[in-house]
Amino acid sequence: MHRISSFTRLRGMRSACVGLLVAGFLAVASSHAAKADDDSLYRALGEKDGIAKIVSISVDKWLVDERIKDDVDNINLDRFRSRLTDQFCEITGGPCHYPGRDMYAAHKGLHLNTAKFNALTEDLYDAMDEVGVPFDVQNRLVALLAAMQRDVVTQ
Amino acid sequence: MRHSPFRAGLRSAVCAAVLSFGWAPASSAWADDLFDSGKLLATGGVSQIEGAGGGGLVPWALITGYGTDNGIGVNAHYTYDQLSDFSLNTGGVAIGLFDRVELSYARQAFNTQDAGAALGLGEGYTFHQDILGAKVKVIGDAVYDQDRWWPQVSVGAQYKSNDRHDLVKALGATDDWGVDFYVAASKLYLAQSLLLNATVRATKANQYGILGFGGDKNDDYRPEFEGSAAYLLSRQVALGVEYRMKPDNLSFAKEDDAGDVFVAYFLNKNVSLTAAYTMLGDIATFKDQNGFYLSLQAGF
Amino acid sequence: MTRRSTRFLARFWREGLVAGAVFATVLTGSLAMAKSFHDVSQKGRAFNMKTLAVEKGDTVRFNNDDEFIHQIFIESKAFNFDSAESNPGDVIPVEFTTAGVYEVHCHIHPKMLLTVTVN
Repeated sequence: MHRISSFTRLRGMRSACVGLLVAGFLAVASSHAAKADDDSLYRALGEKDGIAKIVSISVDKWLVDERIKDDVDNINLDRFRSRLTDQFCEITGGPCHYPGRDMYAAHKGLHLNTAKFNALTEDLYDAMDEVGVPFDVQNRLVALLAAMQRDVVTQ
Repeated sequence: MRHSPFRAGLRSAVCAAVLSFGWAPASSAWADDLFDSGKLLATGGVSQIEGAGGGGLVPWALITGYGTDNGIGVNAHYTYDQLSDFSLNTGGVAIGLFDRVELSYARQAFNTQDAGAALGLGEGYTFHQDILGAKVKVIGDAVYDQDRWWPQVSVGAQYKSNDRHDLVKALGATDDWGVDFYVAASKLYLAQSLLLNATVRATKANQYGILGFGGDKNDDYRPEFEGSAAYLLSRQVALGVEYRMKPDNLSFAKEDDAGDVFVAYFLNKNVSLTAAYTMLGDIATFKDQNGFYLSLQAGF
Repeated sequence: MTRRSTRFLARFWREGLVAGAVFATVLTGSLAMAKSFHDVSQKGRAFNMKTLAVEKGDTVRFNNDDEFIHQIFIESKAFNFDSAESNPGDVIPVEFTTAGVYEVHCHIHPKMLLTVTVN
């Protein structure tokens, strides 16, 4: 009897520890975009000018992409491009500050789904191909943006 | 690409199948939403030899098909693997539902070719196996959880039924059918362009079930580890390596672990081609069964 | 009652009536001159009306009933206005003190347009 009860107590404690650990990791995981530790990605993308070019070509693609063009309709494109450039610049370790709203607030009115988020992503990849960004660098940028899916997709 | 006639044709076939179950779509916009082909290229994996979504040999945690969490994806595959003394070919279909559930059916044919004569079975003697698979994603997202440490985890089962009932029993197997259970964990380390997968499978299958289930040496479920690593060379090409541990239940023939190196080419969201060099070890006393593998997957 | 108190009471009522009459006049006069408030809703990245007629001195309240940030600007010779960005739930009041026809835009959503006619 005594042996069984201390065994179950040990198992119980182990489960509790695992539970706390998982909860801890869950608590730490934030809904903000990840950020680069240094500016190597920022430089690999061509710094602010390079990023602005990638953003500009991406926006042009979104405007004609059947899957998402209605969602980018009726927005001030200069302001949009400028905000996106600031955001990409900041998250890739560049000397910029993105003054915009958090991803959830900025996008919830659009009711985006995963397919649309992926369409935006595919067009961004195409834009980076056009500019000649190497594939591994492309993936490093998208890796920083991928977690935004959680906040941007509300449908 | 999104409105290719091929995809439209396949979609019509699936719509017809779905309609026959009494679902009436209000308009084709409904079909566009449901069969959204919305996943990023290559993120449904390819079809492994038992018909589940994953690599060439190993089932992954990814759900097959290009349907997003709001949609459905369907595909069919055919794989031909010419080994030193045998050939293994598999054909199957699979469906991915809402990036949550995967159902698959595959039929394997293991042809003993010339070795059949040496084994006393007759040249070209073939074992067939029907495999019904189910997989459920339990936690995580391999693609989007770039800022989290945990992988996408899925649990799955494969019900396998061999048509050579008497023969496998004669070879020492306990049953001509069996169920494999597995847990797979997949994670895409996008910043490193690397996908890693680890699978643990509880199985009694001899040579994937081709030589029956359980045996005179061992008749218990054993956990077997399977792993894959794939490097993304481009959006369309992945290079990978896999390793699959196997049980060794039959005394008449040693069974080895298996491995392969592969290159998967994703032409678009409708077609992918995987070429591999497979090393399946000793099979039914024939040593070092290695050879080229080619697999075609078509769907949306 | 004494004669003194009667005289006091009479004076009290007389002056009270005069004060009341003056007050009533002033009150009626200011009511007649009162400014109106008009409510416009920003929703679905659009104004809920295309045109609006107001009197000089009226205030138009722009209510952000949308899920997006909005903003108000007017550019004309007679009247210029440029607001800060307004979050969902915010209200921007704009007082129109000069007669004329004005185009109200949002600098975030270029297709938004309201024409205000001030009499």
